[in-house]
Amino acid sequence: MISAERKPFEEIKASISRYKKVLIVGCGTCVAECAAGGEKEVALLASQLRIDASREGSKIEFKEMTLDRQCVYEFIDQVTPVADKYDVILSLGCGAGVQAMAEVLPKVHIVPALNTTAIAETREAGVWLEDCRGCGDCKLDSFADICPITRCAKGLFNGPCGGSKEGRCEADPDSPCAWQLILTRLEETGRLASLDEIYPPANWAKQQGKGPRKIVREDQRA
Amino acid sequence: MESRTTRFSTTIFFCRQIDPDENTNRRALEKEYGGAIRFFPLPCSGRIEAQHLLKAIEAGAEKVYLVTCPEGACRYCEGNVRAKKRLEYAQGLLKEVGLPAERLQVTRAAGPLPVSIDALTRALLGLPKSA
Amino acid sequence: MIESRLKKVLTMGRFAVTAECGPPKGADPEVVRKKGSLLKGFVDSVNVTDNQTGVVRLSSLASCAILRREGLDPVLQMVTRDRNRIALQSDVLGASALGIRNILCLSGDHQGLGNQPEAKGVFDLDSVQLLKVVREMRDKGIVLGGDALSSVPDLFIGAVENPFGDPMSYRAARLAKKVRAGAEFVQTQCVYNLPRFKAFMTEVTDKGLDKKVAVLAGITPLKSVRMAEYMAKSVAGIDVPEEVIDRLKGVPAGQQRAEGIRIAVETIEALKGIKGVRGVHIMAIEWEEAVPELVEKAGLLPRPEG
Repeated sequence: MISAERKPFEEIKASISRYKKVLIVGCGTCVAECAAGGEKEVALLASQLRIDASREGSKIEFKEMTLDRQCVYEFIDQVTPVADKYDVILSLGCGAGVQAMAEVLPKVHIVPALNTTAIAETREAGVWLEDCRGCGDCKLDSFADICPITRCAKGLFNGPCGGSKEGRCEADPDSPCAWQLILTRLEETGRLASLDEIYPPANWAKQQGKGPRKIVREDQRA
Repeated sequence: MESRTTRFSTTIFFCRQIDPDENTNRRALEKEYGGAIRFFPLPCSGRIEAQHLLKAIEAGAEKVYLVTCPEGACRYCEGNVRAKKRLEYAQGLLKEVGLPAERLQVTRAAGPLPVSIDALTRALLGLPKSA
Repeated sequence: MIESRLKKVLTMGRFAVTAECGPPKGADPEVVRKKGSLLKGFVDSVNVTDNQTGVVRLSSLASCAILRREGLDPVLQMVTRDRNRIALQSDVLGASALGIRNILCLSGDHQGLGNQPEAKGVFDLDSVQLLKVVREMRDKGIVLGGDALSSVPDLFIGAVENPFGDPMSYRAARLAKKVRAGAEFVQTQCVYNLPRFKAFMTEVTDKGLDKKVAVLAGITPLKSVRMAEYMAKSVAGIDVPEEVIDRLKGVPAGQQRAEGIRIAVETIEALKGIKGVRGVHIMAIEWEEAVPELVEKAGLLPRPEG
């Protein structure tokens, strides 16, 4: 899923402090999965903001709403009829959710409450680990299904660097060396020889390109 | 001896396994102290969510207790361990809004079970024994 | 016609000696000149590190140009951490134009380790890909993508290998890959554990790699027990055996430097006898003054005329 983390409370508070009526909107998909922006997290943030407001004697009001997906206009349309009741929308969606809402409601001030981080897996309950950087040119098959761009701190394509120590990464000893993982898996499945080939330089244009990437499917259009 | 609870309100979340007769046993205290003590039984203390704790504070509780089963006695094995972690998470959220972590407190019932929720609460809050 | 002295010495069949020079964290060329003059006549070539450990220093390219003017044979260390393929290929041409005749291709230490931890790590290419790019620029006269160069760079191409990095089993295979990509010489991480290094070189010679690439074994003289312990514990990919640390512990503090030199001399003597080892690369970081003494005591003087 797309992983994200809630911004520090003080930052969120400052971003909406000048308003009186706040609608907090969560998303039931990715950010709910990583416990950052789902219905529960909306409720928690709302409680905190209300507790804080009452301690300061501020008259700011908070309402809560959670959409199935904040990046799909069909769901954002649930907000449209009530949007003008509020001064600001505090979005607990990922970066795409925030921007999609702003496309649908351009006159409304929409403030992000999350820092979107990565494309991740749920490694275990409560642990989300980045797996993919959206390079647009998936090469997992050449690397035993371990992405070297994402999981190697240096994004190396041709084997480990000299800093790999006991299977740990030089840049972050809490992280496993991706190349150690790749080598182990290839060895265990008898595919080590595949690494003899020199993997050529990546085509970064597929990731950076000429700006935001767009996918168009005519067969899917109205 | 003036009871502390007449000056502030207390919310108590507790595991139902501690006292299977809690439905009866908590009534005396609820009557004696009016709304100043509120009880919320849980099927397991591990079912507590940070949101329950925050909502209790939001509703005006000065102190929120979470009473779990004694160590090793959780019927669902790890419920009491999870309960503590979730309370600690909620404490972090309270600290973010400038409230002290002590507003929430997790405590273990002293075994062996069952223990009357009435007796447990009186001991916990320093209240006089029931008439 | 400027030539690579390192290449010449190796071609002559002589045991080569290279040393490392760390540029200053400042703009004063005199610092580089001074270090160069300390080493002149005691080594065949001088490596200049490229913003090592992600700390901003006088650039390797500029430092090499300064050393070149002083009559030394510099080895340009080029990491892929800081520059994309456009800049890398451009600097390869620039190095050659400035009379630099040796290049060492590396990925580089991660940017999080230095004084610019918020920098973007580029890694457009990795070290293996860079080796191939440089080789093809020189031998095929093309840049990546195939466009022809109007004139080719003249560079002796090197890589690094760490015989002590994990996973151990893959190190010789990785060296083979670098050779296939274009490496003509290799400088290794510093050696303290001779048996382990010997095992690595056996694998290298078993693969016939010693016939295709000149291996220069790394040497870093130890200054103190503290330095030895720090390297053993905190620097990734360095193996300092207990016996070495104990040797330093066995002498009073004032004599530890001398003991460190003694250990280094003994290591060099042993390395001379290992099949496939064609020279040594001395990395006396911030102790360049020790190099002349070390080279002399190891019986490596005089250096061949360049």
